[in-house]
Amino acid sequence: MNLNNILPYKKQTLKSFFSFEFTTANVVMFLVSIALVTAMFYGIGVYLAEGHHAYGVTRDHAWGLLIAMYVFFVVSSTGLCIMSSIGHVFNIEAFKIIGKRAIVGAIIMILVGFSVIAFEIGHPVRMVIYNILTPGLTSAIWWMGTLYGMYLFFIILEFFFLNNNNHKYSTIFGLAGLVVGLAAHSNLGAVFGFLVARPFANGPFFPLYFILSAMVTGSYLLFLMYGWRYKMKFPPEVETFLYTLAKVLGLLLAVLIFFEIWRMLTAIYGNMPERADVAMHTLTSANFLVGEVLLGMLIPFAIIIYSKGKAAKALVYASITGMVGIFWMRYDLVHDTQLAHMMPLKIKEYAVTTPFVEYTPTLVEWMISLGALGLAVMMYYAADKFFDLDHKSEESH
Amino acid sequence: MARYGMALDYKSCINCKACESACKEENGILLGADKHRIWVGVPEMEGIFPNLSIGSSSYAPSQCQQCDNAPCQEVCPTNATYYDDNGVVRVNPEQCILCTYCMQACPYDARYIDDRTMTVDKCNFCSDTRLINGETTTACQATCPTKVRIFGDLDDPNSEISQVLRDREHYSLKTHLGTKPKLYYLT
Amino acid sequence: MKTEISRRRFLQGSAALTVVAVSGAATALIEKEEHDKVASFGLRKTQWSDKLTEVPTLCEMCVNKCAAIARVEDGVITKLNPNPLFPKSRNMLCARGNAGIQALEDPDRLKYPLIRVGKRGEGKFKRVTWDEAYEHIKNKMVKILDEEKDNRSTIGYCAGEGMAEHTYVSFMQDKIGSSNFVNHATICLTTTIAGYTLTLGGYGQADLENAEYVIMAGANRAEAIVTPDTMDMFKRTKGRGAKLVVIDPRFTNTASHADKWLPIEVGTDLAFVLALTHVAISEGLYNKKFTQENMSDFEAYKKHILDKNYTPEWAEKITGIKANEIREVARDFMAHAPRSIYYQGRRTAWSFQDFQVRRAQAIFTAMGGGVDKKGGILFGKKLELGKHEIPSPSYFNAEPRIEKDKAAVVGTSGSWIAWRNTIIDGTAPYPVRAFFAYKQNPMLSVPNTSKTRQMLEKMDLVVVIDTMPSDTVMMADVVLPESHYLEREDPVKTFGGSEPSIALRKKVVDAKYDTKPVIEMMRELGEKLAKPLFEISKKYDEELQELIEDAQDEGGEEKVYKQEGYDLAEGYKHSQETINHHMVTSVYGEEAWKTLREKGIFYPDMDKYFKKKSVNTYQYYPEHKKSYSVIKGELDVEPYHDTCVDTKEIGVLKKEFRTATSKIACALYNLEKKKGVDAMPTWREELYTPTPQGRFRFITGRHGQFTQSGTSNNALLLDLMDENYLWINKRVAQEKGINFGDNIEVKSSIGAIQIKAYPTEKIGPNVVFFIHGFGAESSELTLAHHKGANDNMIIEDHYEKSFGSAAMHETIVDIRRV
Ligand SMILES: Nc1nc2c(c(=O)[nH]1)N[C@H]1C(S)=C(S)[C@@H](COP(=O)(O)OP(=O)(O)OC[C@H]3O[C@@H](n4cnc5c(=O)[nH]c(N)nc54)[C@H](O)[C@@H]3O)O[C@H]1N2
Ligand SMILES: Nc1nc2c(c(=O)[nH]1)N[C@H]1C(S)=C(S)[C@@H](COP(=O)(O)OP(=O)(O)OC[C@H]3O[C@@H](n4cnc5c(=O)[nH]c(N)nc54)[C@H](O)[C@@H]3O)O[C@H]1N2
Ligand code: SF4
Ligand code: SF4
Ligand code: SF4
Ligand code: SF4
Ligand code: SF4
Ligand SMILES: [Mo]
Repeated sequence: MNLNNILPYKKQTLKSFFSFEFTTANVVMFLVSIALVTAMFYGIGVYLAEGHHAYGVTRDHAWGLLIAMYVFFVVSSTGLCIMSSIGHVFNIEAFKIIGKRAIVGAIIMILVGFSVIAFEIGHPVRMVIYNILTPGLTSAIWWMGTLYGMYLFFIILEFFFLNNNNHKYSTIFGLAGLVVGLAAHSNLGAVFGFLVARPFANGPFFPLYFILSAMVTGSYLLFLMYGWRYKMKFPPEVETFLYTLAKVLGLLLAVLIFFEIWRMLTAIYGNMPERADVAMHTLTSANFLVGEVLLGMLIPFAIIIYSKGKAAKALVYASITGMVGIFWMRYDLVHDTQLAHMMPLKIKEYAVTTPFVEYTPTLVEWMISLGALGLAVMMYYAADKFFDLDHKSEESH
Repeated sequence: MARYGMALDYKSCINCKACESACKEENGILLGADKHRIWVGVPEMEGIFPNLSIGSSSYAPSQCQQCDNAPCQEVCPTNATYYDDNGVVRVNPEQCILCTYCMQACPYDARYIDDRTMTVDKCNFCSDTRLINGETTTACQATCPTKVRIFGDLDDPNSEISQVLRDREHYSLKTHLGTKPKLYYLT
Repeated sequence: MKTEISRRRFLQGSAALTVVAVSGAATALIEKEEHDKVASFGLRKTQWSDKLTEVPTLCEMCVNKCAAIARVEDGVITKLNPNPLFPKSRNMLCARGNAGIQALEDPDRLKYPLIRVGKRGEGKFKRVTWDEAYEHIKNKMVKILDEEKDNRSTIGYCAGEGMAEHTYVSFMQDKIGSSNFVNHATICLTTTIAGYTLTLGGYGQADLENAEYVIMAGANRAEAIVTPDTMDMFKRTKGRGAKLVVIDPRFTNTASHADKWLPIEVGTDLAFVLALTHVAISEGLYNKKFTQENMSDFEAYKKHILDKNYTPEWAEKITGIKANEIREVARDFMAHAPRSIYYQGRRTAWSFQDFQVRRAQAIFTAMGGGVDKKGGILFGKKLELGKHEIPSPSYFNAEPRIEKDKAAVVGTSGSWIAWRNTIIDGTAPYPVRAFFAYKQNPMLSVPNTSKTRQMLEKMDLVVVIDTMPSDTVMMADVVLPESHYLEREDPVKTFGGSEPSIALRKKVVDAKYDTKPVIEMMRELGEKLAKPLFEISKKYDEELQELIEDAQDEGGEEKVYKQEGYDLAEGYKHSQETINHHMVTSVYGEEAWKTLREKGIFYPDMDKYFKKKSVNTYQYYPEHKKSYSVIKGELDVEPYHDTCVDTKEIGVLKKEFRTATSKIACALYNLEKKKGVDAMPTWREELYTPTPQGRFRFITGRHGQFTQSGTSNNALLLDLMDENYLWINKRVAQEKGINFGDNIEVKSSIGAIQIKAYPTEKIGPNVVFFIHGFGAESSELTLAHHKGANDNMIIEDHYEKSFGSAAMHETIVDIRRV
């Protein structure tokens, strides 16, 4: 049996696999990716030797950068999945061109997310066993994990059928992937939202916000993927698509900003201890103001408004700041949730109390987290080499 | 089967940390900050010398609240955290995957990581060192110089803890979260 | 020792774990690492195997001797639990008591006898056999005593408090025959023991279980744990039966239980108590009947107080405590009398007027009538034990103590500082050439460490008996390692009070290393020394020569040697267990002995009286069987002392200086006449130096989780607090730009140390404080080494002139950030 019959792929020799056009951008990308992946493996090595002591996590800040990065990747994955579904599943014309590239992106993102969290969860193998043997059905993490597992399975099938030009099954699995992905994703929000102990996270906000911000993320990523693919010289149908995407993104950002404002207002004026003070702390932090708000929302939003959505190039660049902003959004999500001391008096004698729990990621955490970006790029490169991800093939059916 | 709880006559506490030391010896807990099942809170002194507020300086002994509605249990993906027959919230290290979700969920900062098993651990009312052998004291209770802790069966109306909770005013921590703690502070 | 003592930490903690299979990536390599990093010995979880036994014993992590029950499994102690049977410790073990296992398992322990090979103080030793160690000591002693013509007092020695202290002291004092003994009394509690004993007839026990009003001045019972006081006091504070007034320049854990905390200018307590007395007298608040019946010279005292005009306004200027506060305290105290106590205190080695402070406190308590009464200061009863006689020779050439004239009254346990200084300043009438230390660490315990070092450097022989490589051990020529308290049986002890009992420390586990209990060392050293030293006495001691002459007909020399107690091992020949057996059964019979061995505690009718009252509390004696009032008619008792001070010494003191009336003594005319010490408490301006502007007075004291310098290497305790910090007033710190954790140099006229800062409002602007016991220099103490600072590097060697007691709070220091 020939694999190519089941999953058509482009044959590659070693040489052809590693050959690419030697433009500055490509070379830089190549070197950066290699460096990132090397850093990641080095970081993993240190972690294997020292365990969580290699990280900056503590008892009262048990979740660190890796969790943030995990969230970053799975949100990206869901975002790509949702955005691709717009055209593919819901038959919206302008979006039809994005199908395969986005799904591959979604698969890569979630795989990378899983590989990051494997180095955060103490016993990943045991996790697989007991997730099945003794499922914790009241646990948002259990649902999130299980659903994301299924989601991955579905979108792989979706990609498989897309690649085989089997429209019917790709739509079915695309829909399944979307539904399960949305469920998994809102459960990821619920992982935080269900934390009654953490008033700042607790409530219905996160599950909704997660879907919304996933779509924003998906949009940014599409801009980036297409920007890179066409080296900023977009064919007309792509340009049309990007203009539409910009409008959608503008709308999404407006809603997100609106959401954010109300979240902060209710948090601060709700006068609830451990919520208001945390919100104030967040509001005054550079992470939030510069990272989340300025880079993640305002700059892209301003460009969309300013260009009335007709500046595809600018938007590709804005998507870079957008993704940096999205990173800080994930970081803040994890960090801010843990800001309040649960038992402020649980300290050693002769130790100064900090008003908030402090956390600084270690170099090892940065290596694994950012290194994973390199991994994502490499996987994308490989996918691009092996599969035909452009929409032309789609058009042909 | 019993439903164990603990009442703390916290005004008697002198912050001697005998409880903390006894717990570590009893349960073979690795040393090093960050790993304490039990602690004594010392509030920051209010006032300016020589007018300090003595009232502000009551010590606050604390540990896992053995919640009847324990968020840590609810969020555990593998049921490694469970209620035992005595209503004690316990962790089965064989099942714990160290996702530390329970540490996020516990409103009382009562959980820590045991570096040897790489699993989450917490106060278990000395279940595996004392209750299992028919003893009805905990290490922290027995050793306390000023006898802060009254440990006993809340389901037994004649137990001392039941009586004390009937007779004396008391409060629990963060009850608004619906955790139903079984640690009671006697006023 | 550098090469001899292995630093390897034991990894017992891991053995006890439920083994969890390694799953996933995160585990395998970490465990080893972590164990190397974190000391985890002595933390073994009980497995409840068939081999589990429970052995009663007594804690010796501090002076209190709480009763414990050890869980033992496979010869390893897995847990120490409180023994509820002991009335004194009331079913508790403090943090240090729990940490006894860590002390036992500490890999840094002394493991075998050592002889110095490098220069003194360099810390280089070689392992030797016990016999080699004794031989070395013998050779040196023979040489010294020969050269000093059998002046036995040329052998100086010190001892820290401990259950076997008397075994060692009796050997050095009665057998070797030296008068030059120093112990903790004059760096600890001499002034309060003397003050209360000479005033009330005994130091007594404060009945904090029943008192309604307690003044604790510089007695930090929440941190400086004394049983049963600590347990009795704090169950009833905070509006629950007892009012507590705390007088302390620092806001201590005790202060946090107070109804009133009055920070006092350091060293001015006498003015405060005199003013209280003035209020009580001028307002006529005292107990007229009691003062009339039981106090001598009270009228004279009244006149003295009024004449001197010790008003609250006068005291306010000195003490910094508001006059109206003083009035209120005096009135409240008397309103609650006789259930009112001016608590005696324990470490009262503070300032030059300490003795009179304690006298004034005792008289003030007595004025309320709270003496020998429920809720007051009790004398209680003590259960007699059988005698263990040790025959002692008298040495004609042994000279009296070298520092006997350095204070008005220098008792048999001497004056530590005066004694040491006499040796180094050359004013000693004869040289002290050898020094033995038992269970004491004078390098860290006695003010002015560099003088202690100088003193030790002058010696021809330094022998130290310890369990840990302390700073003093580092100065030794011969180190004799004692077995840990959980590895030995110690002399049975009777504990007096309103609920008296007898308690026994039984050996719990076999000695882990080549160590011995001190009684065996005394026996073996005695055997080694007896004949050679006898030869020296024969050579120089004319009385002995005469004795031998006289006994020529009935066996001569051999008979004198035997009968006069020159066989130095005599008295130590039997095992401790045999001696204890004799001491108990000779009074209470075999049944009592059986109980004592099985339960650790004995008192008559214990089986009938002892009852569990609640999950936490027990009855020891029924209320009507407690010994509250024991004085029949006139105050003439042999009151109970549980004070680590020789009862004989106290007896002598009382006989010599109290008035003949045997009443509570307001005036000690004898003391004034013979020794020039004020008959009645009098404020002496010349004995008080106010703290100069911009400088600080240094004070020292306890921490609840450490015992002086003895626990500074304990991993479990260091886990609670790993070093000491300098308390400095927050606002003063701010002015000086000092933040938490900054490194500070504290400098006095004798030295300087560095320590981290702890700015706090819990201390006044002209005082600084840090916890005593840290800052060890010994590099063999892996965990304690250079952790925090040693206060005795900067505390000047002042002592008060009535009893030669250290005045540790008379040092002025400067601080700066480094
Ligand atoms: N600056 C300052 N100085 C002080 C004090 C202070 O508060 N500040 N406090 C003073 C007071 S109150 C006192 S009582 C003294 C105490 O002073 P010390 O009597 O010197 O007592 P520790 O400092 O506890 O040192 C006890 C020594 O005994 C050893 N040891 C422990 N157990 C055993 C044992 O079973 N056998 C043997 N052979 N040795 C053992 C320990 O290892 C340690 O070296 O210090 C006084 N000195
Ligand atoms: N945990 C623990 N308990 C112990 C010990 C231990 O080492 N650790 N040691 C035991 C021994 S040997 C002893 S002697 C006792 C000691 O028991 P305490 O005497 O109660 O203890 P210290 O801490 O030495 O007490 C000194 C207190 O006096 C205050 N002070 C200093 N100067 C003045 C002053 O001028 N006036 C007044 N009013 N107060 C002043 C200090 O701030 C300090 O709080 O503790 C015993 N119990
Ligand atoms: S860390 Fe262990 S106990 Fe806690 S939630 Fe995860 S699996 Fe459950
Ligand atoms: S206190 Fe925390 S650890 Fe304990 S039962 Fe409640 S939620 Fe769980
Ligand atoms: S009950 Fe047992 S496990 Fe819990 S804190 Fe007390 S001693 Fe530790
Ligand atoms: S043992 Fe008792 S008094 Fe000591 S700190 Fe613990 S609760 Fe407080
Ligand atoms: S007070 Fe603590 S250290 Fe002292 S004897 Fe008692 S248990 Fe041991
Ligand atoms: Mo002492």
